[in-house]
Amino acid sequence: MWRTFAYFINLLLFLICGLIQVNAQDTIPIPLKIKIGMEVSGPAIHYFDKNILNAEGYISVDLDEKRSVVFAAGYLNYKYNQYNYTYLNKGSFVRVGMDFNLLKPDKSLGKYYAGIGLRYGLSRFTSEVPSFEKTNYWGTTSSSIPKKTYWGHFIEVSPGVRAEIFKNFSMGWSISLRMLLYTGTGKDLKPVYFPGFGDGTKTISAGMNYYIVWNIPYKKIKAIMKKDVPEETDDTKDTGTTGNNQQGSGIRQ
Amino acid sequence: MRKYISESLLIILPGFILFMISCTAGSCFEETESYLKASFYTGEVTPKITAPDTLTLYGLNNDSIIYNKSAKIQPALIPLNSSTDSCTFIIKINGVTDTIKFQYSSYPHLISKECGYTFYHHLSDSVRTYTRHAIKNIFTSNMTITNLNVENIRIFY
Repeated sequence: MWRTFAYFINLLLFLICGLIQVNAQDTIPIPLKIKIGMEVSGPAIHYFDKNILNAEGYISVDLDEKRSVVFAAGYLNYKYNQYNYTYLNKGSFVRVGMDFNLLKPDKSLGKYYAGIGLRYGLSRFTSEVPSFEKTNYWGTTSSSIPKKTYWGHFIEVSPGVRAEIFKNFSMGWSISLRMLLYTGTGKDLKPVYFPGFGDGTKTISAGMNYYIVWNIPYKKIKAIMKKDVPEETDDTKDTGTTGNNQQGSGIRQ
Repeated sequence: MRKYISESLLIILPGFILFMISCTAGSCFEETESYLKASFYTGEVTPKITAPDTLTLYGLNNDSIIYNKSAKIQPALIPLNSSTDSCTFIIKINGVTDTIKFQYSSYPHLISKECGYTFYHHLSDSVRTYTRHAIKNIFTSNMTITNLNVENIRIFY
């Protein structure tokens, strides 16, 4: 009976200690935000090169201090002239996925982001080759490929950083590594470039995005600061062991 | 405030530098011609890949010569006319003249953004007609003619 009672008391003490430890963890207030971002390198490139217009933006909603749901959409109007062909591509795309902030809450403070994004992309575009020429032993052959609509699918990994420059305004960049899943065009008429992905002749495409972001705080949470203090854990164990030893030594005495 | 801005710049500037570096133009390093690749064989019972001592090849009604008494050509690279669905070649193997007519269909193929488009061809079932002075037989090994280094026909002589 006494042994059962002692065991019950020990268990209760253990639970109370655990509870006290959880309450003792530091917390930090983190504002969760809705972020509305605009990609700025696309219009900047269009200013210098009128053959490519890429307009892109995104909305992300923080789920907690680490994760955000992201929805991005954009439009591409692309023209490419090479010595023997002209290529046109026009269309739009969407990307959906998640951003994972790898910074600890005390470093990010809801203002800084250094993390990785994972996305699935879907693109609808029209591809056209108004003219191309091929010269060989028999002379020059001129031809064209008429306009046709296709659906392209891809996945994307995008590590990047963002920092709050002014209150509720951030800037940042990300590197996009995309893997083509399907273009719908067949292996002979792969798109030279298509919305959201880039160079459709390659399975892997890399790009760079530069964002200006408007942040709208909608909720504050308390993020728990996890501290790595192995010494304290050892102390706790030692205390328990000491207690048992004392008890044991008491029995021995 | 100054520290805040300098920390932010530390994050943002590398991105801008990377972006500037990433804007580089590419060049075409791939084969852009789709030749019909013809290998030469001797001996029908036990075929042995053997290049002719001399090979002359040119298209019918075309003044340019593809091979002119060229030695040890293996394989012969034969350009097809993508404007028509057949073309005929005069071929002289070790000084003996034959004619070969190929029938095919042509379709465009994008090699790469830098290299642009070329024509691939698909040999028809009634692939070719040919005279049999030096040539004993022609065997089709691959009906699709691309820019890859893959044998399309075997010419036995």
